[in-house]
Amino acid sequence: MKNLSELSSIEKLIIRDNKFLFTALSFATVFLCFLNLSLSNLPLLGTIATLAYFLINGIFLGHAFFEKEDAFFRFMFGVLLLIMLLGFVGWLAVIIYNLDVFRFTLVLLIVATLSSLSNRRVKSKNAT
Amino acid sequence: MPLSEQRFAWFRHISEILYLFLIALSFYLLFLSRTGEARTVWEVLHPAFIPTLFVATSLLSMILLTSEKVSYKLLFIIVHSVLIHSFFSVIFPAGDLSGQQMDLGRARLIYDNAVLHGLPLPSGEPLSSQIFKRFNGTNFHAALSVIFARMFSIDLLWVHLFLVPVLWGGFTPIAAYLTTYTFTQNEKVAVLSSLFISAFPYATYFGAISVPNSLGFIFFFYSLYFMLENLHSDDFKTKVLMLVFSFFSLLSHYLTGVIALSLLALTIAFKSYRSEKTSFTTAKFSLMISFIVSVSLLPLSLIYLRLFRPTTQTAFTLDKFYELPAEEVIGLSLIGELIYGFDLKIALLVIIGPAIALLCMIYQLYSLKRNPTAKFRTHIYFLCAAFLMMLLDYRILKLFMSGLPLNEERLWVFRDFIAVPFVALAIYEVVSSLKAFLKAKSPPTISTASLKMLSKANILRVLSLVLTLNVLIPVLLGGWITLSLSAAYPQVAPLQTTWYELEAVKCIEENTNEKYVVIADTWTIYAGEVIVGVSNPRAYYFGEFNKTGYDLFVNMKQNPSPQWMLLAMNYTDTTIAYFIVTEPRLGTEEFNNVVSRALQNKQLTVEGVFGARKLYVFSYSKG
Repeated sequence: MKNLSELSSIEKLIIRDNKFLFTALSFATVFLCFLNLSLSNLPLLGTIATLAYFLINGIFLGHAFFEKEDAFFRFMFGVLLLIMLLGFVGWLAVIIYNLDVFRFTLVLLIVATLSSLSNRRVKSKNAT
Repeated sequence: MPLSEQRFAWFRHISEILYLFLIALSFYLLFLSRTGEARTVWEVLHPAFIPTLFVATSLLSMILLTSEKVSYKLLFIIVHSVLIHSFFSVIFPAGDLSGQQMDLGRARLIYDNAVLHGLPLPSGEPLSSQIFKRFNGTNFHAALSVIFARMFSIDLLWVHLFLVPVLWGGFTPIAAYLTTYTFTQNEKVAVLSSLFISAFPYATYFGAISVPNSLGFIFFFYSLYFMLENLHSDDFKTKVLMLVFSFFSLLSHYLTGVIALSLLALTIAFKSYRSEKTSFTTAKFSLMISFIVSVSLLPLSLIYLRLFRPTTQTAFTLDKFYELPAEEVIGLSLIGELIYGFDLKIALLVIIGPAIALLCMIYQLYSLKRNPTAKFRTHIYFLCAAFLMMLLDYRILKLFMSGLPLNEERLWVFRDFIAVPFVALAIYEVVSSLKAFLKAKSPPTISTASLKMLSKANILRVLSLVLTLNVLIPVLLGGWITLSLSAAYPQVAPLQTTWYELEAVKCIEENTNEKYVVIADTWTIYAGEVIVGVSNPRAYYFGEFNKTGYDLFVNMKQNPSPQWMLLAMNYTDTTIAYFIVTEPRLGTEEFNNVVSRALQNKQLTVEGVFGARKLYVFSYSKG
């Protein structure tokens, strides 16, 4: 029970996204992925950055599109939408040009921005 | 909380911890089974794995019948699902020897930036063909694999092999849960269905191989859920999500896309039927027309696929009725390809789920006739129509069409997705009836104190209740799911990509600075695709179906000389050519002959010997 309420408070914190803190954090994970690919290639660093990216943006998208669902389903739907969005923007990059490290970073940034904006939109809609 | 409930909660927690321990043990045993040379997973699977998995699955079935939170139950199912879909990826060094290696070969080109401006598109190709190549699922699948590989900063091989097993394991149980819950409104039935998707062998197989079609199946399952939601809701978001998931089904694979479109047409028809203001006959007639359109969409789309893919030669035909004996035609229309190499156990495992679903559907339709105001009748009618559509489409493709670009049995996965809620419903009804029957036959209160006062007959009844509900049913369900794995993973297969084939390919890649070409058999080409990609201009492996590559290999086998290697180098604009021969692929006698002739030719250099002399690499360079 305690774990669930902790998860729920983390979710609320991320959704609130005060002063774009979590959006900035999500951009920071993208930058970390870019640095990791360019310099160190450490799977551990990559995994940490990926998990943080998925947690933040999965919660953003879950809140934006599945607000009325149960917390578990909201998060899972959010992650699924995030994967679809990543795949779609990545696919666009592939068919237009290619998916090298630079364009890969661009894909992550586009998806993170879209997720954050969707979250903001629903949040402001709820506030009015 | 009353004492009995506390005891029960304590017992449930113990079961959950034991379940997690058994699943962890199963993962460990699966890793122990990893091998570099095998044909099927069954040859090398640790002897303790299946018993452990069986106990874990039975325990999981038991937990599902308790009042534990749905999210926890689903998490347990997800872990179980990831495990049973990871056999190929964990056991074989390069996954299953199939289309997934071809797809990995194409993804590798993007990962290594070997080809710019999208995938290679030969000039002079028609626009429709170019559109198809850009929109076919390989690009979407490759993009996802490459993005994950870069995010985790691990090699594409690992990401590609585990992409579908993990996504399938994580998301299909949830889709099954939501689909079932939409029209049953019963959490226990819905949770059972999310586990029982693993009892369908074809669905399990497609969840274990990383191909675009498998990704398409995942998105299709969600589009099915949103279609059902759309039947009782006018929410704009539901409509958008239904269309989005259908679009992603199409983006992943044309088969899943076309089926999603067919069901979309059916959904629209059912929805308008539900709110129809016109006469009953007109409404029924328009529904019938929509059903016929939905059924014909797949066969027609396969015919017109040639507009986008000129190599497709699909056509309607009655040849099978003229050429095959009557009993074979009847067998094909009843159980499909299962008649070839008929194995009763496998056939039963493939058929039992859909058969139970069919019976349950008939029962549900019968019940609906008696209860015309049932809340979710449209949903049940829609699912029954969709199930019937799959049965008809399969038979049309199997008996009336030729030159199909895919095997018809892929339709069984759609059929299974639609069947699984009904199987869960049937199981739940049986369990509930048994429970009611045994409770009616047992004394009203059961406790240790009262047990002592019961007569022998009553003790037996109490024991039978406890045993049936808590042991027998979970064991039967666990046994069914575990046994169905034997039908999901092939019992017979060619030798999978071996560790020494991969070693040879890696060795060439690491030690060659110039552009090179490799002449080898199809199996080594698969290994090459896994490491450097297909038709990579820098490290050229001919495609699996490339005739020039095949002819060069046959010529090299018959006469290992630099002449063919020079031809290959000129053809691919490279400066070094390698020739690889492998003993298990050629057979000992032919392998020895080819190797001794190649060794006699002093112009060829032995570049490496791998796998205790089972694989030889010869090289020849220009100038």
